[in-house]
Amino acid sequence: MASPNEIKKGIVLKDEAGLWLVTEFQHVNPGKGSAFVRSRIKNLQTGKTLERTYKVAETIEIVNVDHRRMQFIYKDQTGYTFMDNDTYEQVALPEDQVGEEARFMKEGMEVMVSLYDGKPIAVELPRKMTFKVVEAPEVVAGNTASGGNLTKEVVLEGGISIRAPMFIKEGEQIVINTETGEYVERAK
Amino acid sequence: MHLSVTLRSEIVKRVRAFFDARAYLEVHTPRMVALPGQEPYLSPFWTKLHDIHGGAFDRALITSPEYAMKKLLASGLEKIYDLGPCFRDGEPTDGSHAPEFLLLEWYRKRADLFSLMDETEDMLRFVGRGLRDAELAPPFRRMTVAEAMKVYAHIDLGEILEDREALAALVIEHGGTVQTEDTWDDLFFKIFLTEVEPNLGWNHNKTIWQPTFLWNYPLSQASLAAKNPEDSRYALRTELYIGDLELGNGFQELTDAEEQRGRFLEEIRLRESLGKQTWAMDEELLQALTQLGKVSGLAFGVDRLVMLLAETDKITHLTNGL
Repeated sequence: MASPNEIKKGIVLKDEAGLWLVTEFQHVNPGKGSAFVRSRIKNLQTGKTLERTYKVAETIEIVNVDHRRMQFIYKDQTGYTFMDNDTYEQVALPEDQVGEEARFMKEGMEVMVSLYDGKPIAVELPRKMTFKVVEAPEVVAGNTASGGNLTKEVVLEGGISIRAPMFIKEGEQIVINTETGEYVERAK
Repeated sequence: MHLSVTLRSEIVKRVRAFFDARAYLEVHTPRMVALPGQEPYLSPFWTKLHDIHGGAFDRALITSPEYAMKKLLASGLEKIYDLGPCFRDGEPTDGSHAPEFLLLEWYRKRADLFSLMDETEDMLRFVGRGLRDAELAPPFRRMTVAEAMKVYAHIDLGEILEDREALAALVIEHGGTVQTEDTWDDLFFKIFLTEVEPNLGWNHNKTIWQPTFLWNYPLSQASLAAKNPEDSRYALRTELYIGDLELGNGFQELTDAEEQRGRFLEEIRLRESLGKQTWAMDEELLQALTQLGKVSGLAFGVDRLVMLLAETDKITHLTNGL
């Protein structure tokens, strides 16, 4: 059993609802109140995120998680398969256990795989990744379809659709925030 | 980044100018006392005073100048302010706490909680002029704790005010945990800190500040504030939020010595249950309270104000300039 004082980003908590990955945390002392830890946690089985405040004095269960750098090799009906380049060991993570950011994974790229009890439970991509724009509609002045919007829908390599600024053209490389799925900037 | 060191000097000057112009007397109360406050969640630093006969006496650094200031009010002063370092041990290293920090505290006789809020707004506009005028100019929002719980957590506070079980069920519904040792206040904070507090000092999409006075606290969180005569389940206490920071904590002060004695006993009992050191009650303070009449006062974090104006999230930048 552990104390909420040990909560850090990336650790995994266990309760009746399963395993929760801590994505953000902050210590808070309300004026004239007990000490608390406010956290944002993500359920590893369902992907649901929650904001939860623990009292520092309560007990929680922190589970031991391994983090290993692995290479994403391919995706098929069993899910996403990763390989450890040192041991050549392969592990697979079912599709429904990978979050929204899964769509940004490119074959051959390196990611961080979290393993609990030898089984993969989560994968973490680099927060920013660069993609080529393969389709971007031309914006014509006075085009009523754009109706005053500042962004338009573009398609990236891998068939990913996101919104990007009007000035982005086909063939350009752009940087995406894999956590939010949003355009960040043109690649330098 | 020496900017924040010089900014702090300027802010302190402006604060003094504001209160001096309003005929407040600046007092310099002791930093070291025999009987500090016993708020259950504050830890004073303790030291020893030695006399020439080899006697040793416990002394503590103040966590706030409140007690000494109230005794001065009882001796006849009307409007006083104290601006100096205060000391608190065991605080989280979250960027907005430091073991030593500058605290401004002021009191005014014959003032109620609302005049105190008005004065705080005036002070902030004066002190912050030329720095964040646009965001400090509009009237500050004033929201009761019940209103805030309704707006941000969709909870009717009145219905669960005396019902720990109902509150516990709500905590679970809102994704929190409930342990048998959790008090009503602990459960309240589990919801309040998650859904309400992070939003109080901001506009609805959290892009600009919305300075907000949260007031009318449940009696269990009243501390030294008087009960609200219109609803005795609540107390005349307010806290000011700007952005992510709580800048000040004010009360229309409790001046009923017997009720205060009862609250102090509660504090001591709670400290004991938390395994914390306790000491005697300050009887002189209790005596002084009976002579105060209606008085309001506020403790204000000068360092946090400087942090906001300097746009830094580390209070240590103000002292070491790094």
